[in-house]
Amino acid sequence: MITLNLPNPIGEEAWGLWIALYFFLAGTTGGAYLLSVLFYEQEMVRRSALWAFLGVVLGSALLVLDLGQPLRFLNLFLGGLHPGSVMWLGSWFLVLSGVGLLWVYLRPTAKGFQQGVAVLVALVVGYTAVLLMQMAKPFWNASPLLPWLFLASAATAGGALLQLWHPDERVSRLVGVAALVEGGVLLLHLIWTYPAAAGAILALLAGPLAWVFWGFVVVGWGLPFFLEKRNATLAALFTLVGAFLLRYFVVMAGQV
Amino acid sequence: MPNPKDFAILFDASRCIGCKACQVACKQWNDLEAENTKNYGSYANPPKLTAHTWISMRFYEGLRPNGDPYFDFIRVACMHCTNAPCVGACPVGAMAHREGGVVTVDERTCIGCRACVQACPYGAVHFDEAHGVVQKCTMCYDRIAHGDRPACVKACPTDALTFGSYGEIRAMAEERVRVLKERGHARANVYGLGELGGTHVLYVLTDHPSQYDLPKAVREAEKRAAAGWLSTGIAAAVLGAGLKFLVERREALKGGGQ
Ligand code: SF4
Ligand code: SF4
Repeated sequence: MITLNLPNPIGEEAWGLWIALYFFLAGTTGGAYLLSVLFYEQEMVRRSALWAFLGVVLGSALLVLDLGQPLRFLNLFLGGLHPGSVMWLGSWFLVLSGVGLLWVYLRPTAKGFQQGVAVLVALVVGYTAVLLMQMAKPFWNASPLLPWLFLASAATAGGALLQLWHPDERVSRLVGVAALVEGGVLLLHLIWTYPAAAGAILALLAGPLAWVFWGFVVVGWGLPFFLEKRNATLAALFTLVGAFLLRYFVVMAGQV
Repeated sequence: MPNPKDFAILFDASRCIGCKACQVACKQWNDLEAENTKNYGSYANPPKLTAHTWISMRFYEGLRPNGDPYFDFIRVACMHCTNAPCVGACPVGAMAHREGGVVTVDERTCIGCRACVQACPYGAVHFDEAHGVVQKCTMCYDRIAHGDRPACVKACPTDALTFGSYGEIRAMAEERVRVLKERGHARANVYGLGELGGTHVLYVLTDHPSQYDLPKAVREAEKRAAAGWLSTGIAAAVLGAGLKFLVERREALKGGGQ
């Protein structure tokens, strides 16, 4: 049996495609910005800031659409302080990083400012994992590795995105290393959470989510290694597909 | 720990006959619609709580290792946790403690994000698709605030459910466990004293909580979130520095060799 959690305009209880797509957009474009700040100068940083800004805006729009009461989303900002709620913190990270990214794109900014915005962007990428860890779902919370997985995947996918319009030997090497880290962390996470979340892991390996999981492993993770030297563009595209599949199966497996 | 004056409910599994009067009374008082369900091989129905079923009975039958048969019932509904993960996860403060320790959702401010649904270890909050907000047991706040008992408690024909102040209810629960132990129920225990900062619904059980699928030793959600933030910080620092070092060191080595 194959399950695909299609978005339902009236809303349904489970977190599904919208959420996974948002995690993917924020993770990938945010990752590209983070790498640019680490490795590049002004012009590339500005361009990737635009990408990340669009990712954050589009992702936030998906989040709002996913709400049962989309028109009430302002309650997130006007409903008082809730620092214990990872979702509340995340909403603020999104707004602040969005403003910061737009500024980096529009104005020539100092490296220090760009790095400050990078911290916010890293928080946007990281909070999505902490959000899941706060929940009562063993596949999400039984190991502390989800932030590692999401950040490593952001580096892989962000690097792949950069590769698409600015091929660079350094970034290609980096994507390879980050993908190895990502694979290792994923394996460790599966082993670590297995005692508590056997059902979720079986669903991934041989159950209704197997197509997403193995799709990630084969197409989104293995194939790029193989293609890297032959066709870098194709490798980058498959890496991006993989980054989406990864978010999707992590979101779905927690709710098995 | 709940305040001794808080509202509380005691469920005594040793007195329950599994008649579901509580389940029906809840539907009636709270005007919850009927649901299409499927028989999945247990008397429990529906199998899980929903936005329209805030309390339901679960049934466990089988043979103990010594060959004695057992047929146990448990009430499943919101436990009204003191350290409630649903309240902690809510980004707008719609899910909150009301006076007397009762946890309810404010349907006028809830944005329908379902964070509380994911956060509840008892599966007690659910999304109402028709209204775009979540629904759960209110401990009949509209009744208890006016001096009445919750509908489920009033309907129970065997006194398996009792309503009162937390102080009274806790004393009753502990006394009952003492009596049950005397009568030979060696594993009798009170559930809900240590879980989630103490729950406002206490259970007297005749067997270990895991026998009733109740989570024991739940790790507090805010501790998991704190661990998550820490893990994020370490991961960002290690990955950022590590990747930069790896890539640039190799570059430097290559540059040096030329
Ligand atoms: S049982 Fe669930 S819904 Fe009820 S207070 Fe605890 S966390 Fe919230
Ligand atoms: S669904 Fe409503 S009550 Fe639950 S966390 Fe979101 S806003 Fe709060």
